[in-house]
Amino acid sequence: MTTALANPAEAILFEVSKPGRRCLRLPELDVPKVDIKAALKGAKLRAKPAPLPEVGELDLVRHFKNLAQKNFSVDRNFYPLGSCTMKYNPKINVTLLSLPGFTKAHPHLPEADLQGHIELMVTLEKWLSEISGLPAVTLQPAAGAQGEMTGLMVIKAYFESKGEGKTRTKVIIPDSAHGTNPATAALAGFTPLTLKSTADGSVDLAALKAMIGPDTAAMMITNPSTLGILEPNMVEIAKLLHTAGAQLYMDGANMNAIQGMVRPGDYGVDVMHFNLHKTYSVPHGAGGPGAGPIAVASHLEPYLPTPRPVRNADGTYSLDSKRPDSIGKVRSFFGNYGALVMAYIYMAQLGREGVRRNGENAVLNANYLRAKLRGVYHIQNDKACAHEVVFTDKTQNAEHHISALDIAKRMIDYGIHPMTIYFPQPNVVGGQGAMMVEPTETESKETLDYFVVVMKKIASECKDNPEIVKTAPHTTPVSRVDEKTATTNPQLYCPMCIA
Amino acid sequence: MPFIQNTDADRAEMLKAIGVGSIEDLFKDIPANLRLKMSDASMLKLPKGKGELEVTRHIHELLAKTKNAGDYAYFRGGGIYNHFVSTLIDHIALYDGSFITAYTPYQPECSQGTLTFIYEFQSSITALTGLEVANASMYDGASALAEAMMMGKHVSEDRHRKENRNTFVLAGAVNPEYLQVCKTYADVAGLKVVQVATGADGRVDGQALAKALTRKVFAVAVQSPNYLGVIEDVEAVVAAAKENEILVVQAVGEALSLALLQTPAEAGVDVCVGEGQSLGNHQFLGGPAFGFFASKKDWLRKMPGRIVSETKDKDGRRAFALALATREQHIRREKATSNICTNQSLCALRALIHIAAWGKQGFVELAEHTVAKTQYAISKLTSVPGVKLAHTGAPVFNEFVIQAVPGLEKKLLKKKVAGGLPLDKYGKGRRGQYLVAITEVTTKADIDRYAEALTEAMKGKPVAV
Repeated sequence: MTTALANPAEAILFEVSKPGRRCLRLPELDVPKVDIKAALKGAKLRAKPAPLPEVGELDLVRHFKNLAQKNFSVDRNFYPLGSCTMKYNPKINVTLLSLPGFTKAHPHLPEADLQGHIELMVTLEKWLSEISGLPAVTLQPAAGAQGEMTGLMVIKAYFESKGEGKTRTKVIIPDSAHGTNPATAALAGFTPLTLKSTADGSVDLAALKAMIGPDTAAMMITNPSTLGILEPNMVEIAKLLHTAGAQLYMDGANMNAIQGMVRPGDYGVDVMHFNLHKTYSVPHGAGGPGAGPIAVASHLEPYLPTPRPVRNADGTYSLDSKRPDSIGKVRSFFGNYGALVMAYIYMAQLGREGVRRNGENAVLNANYLRAKLRGVYHIQNDKACAHEVVFTDKTQNAEHHISALDIAKRMIDYGIHPMTIYFPQPNVVGGQGAMMVEPTETESKETLDYFVVVMKKIASECKDNPEIVKTAPHTTPVSRVDEKTATTNPQLYCPMCIA
Repeated sequence: MPFIQNTDADRAEMLKAIGVGSIEDLFKDIPANLRLKMSDASMLKLPKGKGELEVTRHIHELLAKTKNAGDYAYFRGGGIYNHFVSTLIDHIALYDGSFITAYTPYQPECSQGTLTFIYEFQSSITALTGLEVANASMYDGASALAEAMMMGKHVSEDRHRKENRNTFVLAGAVNPEYLQVCKTYADVAGLKVVQVATGADGRVDGQALAKALTRKVFAVAVQSPNYLGVIEDVEAVVAAAKENEILVVQAVGEALSLALLQTPAEAGVDVCVGEGQSLGNHQFLGGPAFGFFASKKDWLRKMPGRIVSETKDKDGRRAFALALATREQHIRREKATSNICTNQSLCALRALIHIAAWGKQGFVELAEHTVAKTQYAISKLTSVPGVKLAHTGAPVFNEFVIQAVPGLEKKLLKKKVAGGLPLDKYGKGRRGQYLVAITEVTTKADIDRYAEALTEAMKGKPVAV
């Protein structure tokens, strides 16, 4: 099939396919054979078998192992991708998750067979409740964005119960917020209003005051902000909203910084979501699955999704679906239970001290990088940061026309995954290209020192050899990828998969 | 200390470099009275941390308080199926950190592994459905259907500008979990969800459907095989939707059925969504697995979710990259097609390995095997006195509903048979009905045991009518 690409390692699965090859076979049929057409009489059948690849086991394993080598991953590379919390994912997570008690746990088993699972969920809810300082938690949302949506739905249901559903239509969102916030607000049927941040990246209280009105349903705030800054006025912000009868939603994407240091509920937050794939070591899985539980204040508890795992007075566990005010279900069954199990295993190991220690070391590591790279790269807000530090390309751009993108790509040549560069948007970092670095608590000082050396080296390359930066990376299986054509002329499937 | 490598000496040195006296000095923006004091045990009531040995022991203790599908002759499905999962999948997707500990492939040069497998996954979904554009996956089948509903609304806003169509029709027996999730999404979006009843044969009632498909409807979804296991006439739904230019969505609960049944493309649907768990994903109490989402290319720019495209690097070599990000929340913010920011890449990878490991021929055999076992189970269970098929006249694939009497569940469980899922809670008409699911894992011995235990349990019961 493939003539253009002689090396099978470079081929895609459909190209190494050859009729008759396979990996798996079925046991001999132990019931009478049937004529398929007769057995499915009345159903229309497909004209031809699906043109799926046919490969032997060695070729299959080699194909994926070759692909594995074309990926940077936390297991092999420092991955300081800001706002993503790419911490080490302990191996015990996947080992225990592979036990048949989890892999063959079917959601339609009777409650009596699920006692240990429900107990796990109830305990995990309790831990997250303790860390958030909010009394009730649901584990159902499958991701942070779904957590946001669930949170806003809960807020909406609350206002509807108070007869204010029609009037409270606006959700205030700072301009530094992640794109999911406004997208979620719109999806949940609210009108998002953008609040401009102050020069140092915090909430402009006067502007907020002016924006809050009887039509305000909620404000969504990320704390620490997406600029890696702890919001100094959380208590005042909560008061302003509550005085106006509105709710405060906290995006917990950056919870890694403040876990065990402050409980968002103590600030006056009414709803927050966790990203278990960031803060509690659920592997990111090349883009998912994650889990986005939300914690809520007691007045919002009746609206949480069903079923709710509960502990009964006699010590048994149940799934409670009789909750008339619930918003319903946002995800089938119990959410991404497998992800919840991994977070549970991790948190059981951390314990009280570990939760606090993680936050402290995450913040320490980020500030260390801020101190070591000050003067090499411009910092928009050079004050104590939280778990991540935002540099910009101001100096390199002004002096050598080298952008954050070029610097990021050059990092790859030194075996480090690029920091986040597409975010925060330039309007909140003084018009410059942002370079958001989040080392996480799991990295050693030696790794951080290596990063500092690399970043200094790249800064000097910008002066001495700008071409090598502008044309980076040079050591990867492919050179700089044409992402524009991917969008203007998308090729979304292999021609061989259309029979 | 677990998972932290900084030593006390490191910390001291780092604090010095930063120029602060203590770590807490870095948290000064949190009011002092809100900062938790570790000396006060009432603050942050979490247990003491456990080591690997203790945690392992604890997890085994928890699991001792559970039973799983492997403990029974197992006949429950209803959206999640007890399939065999090849060890190849866990070796590549779970134990090798290269995929599982990577992030979304925003930097294509160091993420070609992920981007390539997503492209291969998309291609596999295209091969299965016949539809030209598939995304990189969604949370699950239920939310994929809800996203298809939202997309249907957006398409209609373009196509039928002044009509303000607001109704989403679910044709027949759609998985109740999907229905509930659609309703939750519809509520906040101000959309109406209408479910059309099934007829006696378990298929959607054609006349009622024709009546329901007015010009108020922006999209209609039909699940096939449906929640009762019955294979719908999807073409008939497409025909019924045509006159009023209604977007047709097919939902698939058991993806293996795509091996044999008319493809969504052949049936003429606009969009096909489904639950991917049965493709190489463990059960995990219902997740994580993934939803797949495929569409005619006409609707590409309205589609939710990540998409990967083939392209080239600057030296002209084949490369892959994320495409069409202009639909997504990080660019479009409140104008995005969806708020979704993640996909379920790792679960999609599992599906790809599953599909490739069975291969073109094996995948068909797997489906045929299931059909044969399902037919045997039907004949065996309906030969039990007092038990019959609840729906006749329309074909089934891997699931079917038997009509018996209520209250059999516990008696069967005692005999180590997790019989079909009781449907009593879905309405009066479903009293004494059980949804029975078959997979390649089900043996003849399992089916015989079920029939035997059912015979025993039915003794002395009034015969079902």
